[in-house]
Amino acid sequence: MKNLILVLKKELYRVFSDRKLIISLFIVPAILMFAIYSLIGTLAKSMNSDIESHTSKTYIVNATDMLEKVVKDSEFGKNADIKYLSDSEYASQKTDLEEQIRNGDADLIVVVQKDFDSVFSAYKGQGDAIPNINIVFNSTENYSQQAYSVFSNALNDYRTKLLGSRIGNLEQLTVFNQTETEIVKESKAGTQFIAMMLPYMIMIMLFSGAMSISVDAFAGEKERGTLASMLVSPIRRTDIAMGKVIALAIIAALSSIVYAVSMIISMSTMGGSMSGMSSGFGAVHFDIMQIVQLGLMLIVLDYFFVVVIAVLSSFAKDTKSASTFVTPAYMVVLVSALLTMFQSGAKNTLVKYAIPLYGNAIAIQDITTGDIQPVNFFVSLGVTVLVSAILTGVLAKIFDSDKLMFNA
Amino acid sequence: MISVNNLTKVYKLTASKMKELRTTENTKIAVNKLSFEAKPGEIYGLLGPNGAGKTTTLRCIATILKPTEGSVRVNGFDTVKEGEKVRGSIAFLTNEIKLDAHFTTDYMFRFFGRIHGMTEEQIDKRRDELFTRFDIHSFAGKKIEELSTGMKQRAAIAVTLVHDPEVVIFDEPTSGLDILTARTVTDYLKELKEAGKTVVVSTHIMSEAEKLCDRIGIIINGKKVIEGTLADIYEQTHTDDLEDAFFELYKENGGDVK
Ligand SMILES: Nc1ncnc2c1ncn2[C@@H]1O[C@H](COP(=O)(O)OP(=O)(O)OP(=O)(O)O)[C@@H](O)[C@H]1O
Ligand SMILES: [Mg+2]
Repeated sequence: MKNLILVLKKELYRVFSDRKLIISLFIVPAILMFAIYSLIGTLAKSMNSDIESHTSKTYIVNATDMLEKVVKDSEFGKNADIKYLSDSEYASQKTDLEEQIRNGDADLIVVVQKDFDSVFSAYKGQGDAIPNINIVFNSTENYSQQAYSVFSNALNDYRTKLLGSRIGNLEQLTVFNQTETEIVKESKAGTQFIAMMLPYMIMIMLFSGAMSISVDAFAGEKERGTLASMLVSPIRRTDIAMGKVIALAIIAALSSIVYAVSMIISMSTMGGSMSGMSSGFGAVHFDIMQIVQLGLMLIVLDYFFVVVIAVLSSFAKDTKSASTFVTPAYMVVLVSALLTMFQSGAKNTLVKYAIPLYGNAIAIQDITTGDIQPVNFFVSLGVTVLVSAILTGVLAKIFDSDKLMFNA
Repeated sequence: MISVNNLTKVYKLTASKMKELRTTENTKIAVNKLSFEAKPGEIYGLLGPNGAGKTTTLRCIATILKPTEGSVRVNGFDTVKEGEKVRGSIAFLTNEIKLDAHFTTDYMFRFFGRIHGMTEEQIDKRRDELFTRFDIHSFAGKKIEELSTGMKQRAAIAVTLVHDPEVVIFDEPTSGLDILTARTVTDYLKELKEAGKTVVVSTHIMSEAEKLCDRIGIIINGKKVIEGTLADIYEQTHTDDLEDAFFELYKENGGDVK
């Protein structure tokens, strides 16, 4: 135990006395996260406000008096540059105008049937002609798309007005009123998004954090012959193994905390621009129980990841081949975490929680939504502890093997 | 006290190693039924050409390789069954085992002192002795990566000796050192012998073996071909020079040495 702590302290000291490592483990990720999310946020925000403040260049052909009035009073009319054209004017410029729409120079052409009002009033019953309004827009242009959807609201108003004039009493058309009363489990509110993302993000951040330092701490030290200096000293192999793994797990955890904190800060400073995400985080309230469960799960998972990487790296001759061993493990982690995103509502069976990685991922998801069953939690936790303990033993055995340590 | 009994070590060769050794066999007998004893108060020298099996033998004594056949006992402890006890009572120096260059000599010295269960006072006292002896004080606080080869070797020697072990095993202790530093090291080994320690060194330098060792075992192709004091060897080979004796033995045992 004393020697284990000595090894652990040495490993921690190694990282924390290395300026380059500190920068690459803790400072660069924080800055990077912040930069990425700020950039996404700013871009999204400016794009949205740009689209909203854009003055739509619109042509309306054969506008009726009522349509002209409705459009002027509508949301659309407030921010649009509208040219009213007669039928003959339109006919002569048709190809040119359509070209403008195609190029994004104009946003919308609204073609009202020539004698719209008379066709409308002539309608008496089934089979009679129905007047037509044709809207020309370009769905690949954001401005045009936006103009189309805002103009559709104005057209709805117009439709309602015309209906009212035909029937005289709008209430006759109202079949039922619709009201909404939403009931959600409080801890689930706002956590849907985070519950979907959290297992994925946690597992990736933990694993990649662990990977960046652990490959070198095992394969690198083996390659350089520095691990051997410990192997010829009277430290128990399990003490070396556990001391190193715990130290690296601490560092990986710190690194992923830095990631998580900078991500949450960046997301919340993004404001409403990516409303789904920021409100998802803003609305999360974990109670003590959830925090304890999540904390325990993360500590165990963190150790598990490091020991997996340690075993794979110790099998390798050098850091280069170690990376080729660890990369497939990373893929497995990615896929297990991704699977949680495609959960149906159905409850998971206990067996699923006993699968390392996948079980951890769904357990984290359940903890986030407050749905975790104690038995599921402990099964997932227990299996991970057990597998980690076995792998630690394997690691100690590898340290004891002259074949693997000295290529003999 | 070291006793090596019928030690055989066979390496399994990887494809690349087979190419390197220009062989079609996938195993290499590095040490072949080797037996010898080194007693307290003597320096025993393993002398042999490159690839003779010296380092392999020393690694087996130091517990980091397991004998394919035979056994090794250090201070009465079996190197396989009681590896930890053996490791606690030896100093093993070889150029493939390195101190983590990121740390300072001071840190490493203290670290291994603690690993050997020494108190801080014991470590301080020992530090003073060894750092003075090997002239380390001036660079003790520098990271090992910033040191010269000679400084690194001195640092490594001091660190491996921190616990004042009964058995000292040095693989080519003077390789890469200038004559001044080499002399410091060989003088110190003689002091250790005087103090009753068991010392085993390997070398391919005849003059070093001549001056330093009380008894010499010459190994060629993993086999011990002769053993004894200088006088014994001269007598048996009818020469009066170790180099002549070596060539004599080498011809007789015709090695395919790399
Ligand atoms: N890890 C290994 N795998 C396979 N063969 C090895 C290994 N290490 C050494 N050998 C082979 O075993 C033989 C003995 O090697 P060893 O290093 O013990 O020789 P040595 O006497 O120390 O030589 P040198 O004077 O060059 O240091 C050599 O033929 C070498 O190529
Ligand atoms: Mg050698």
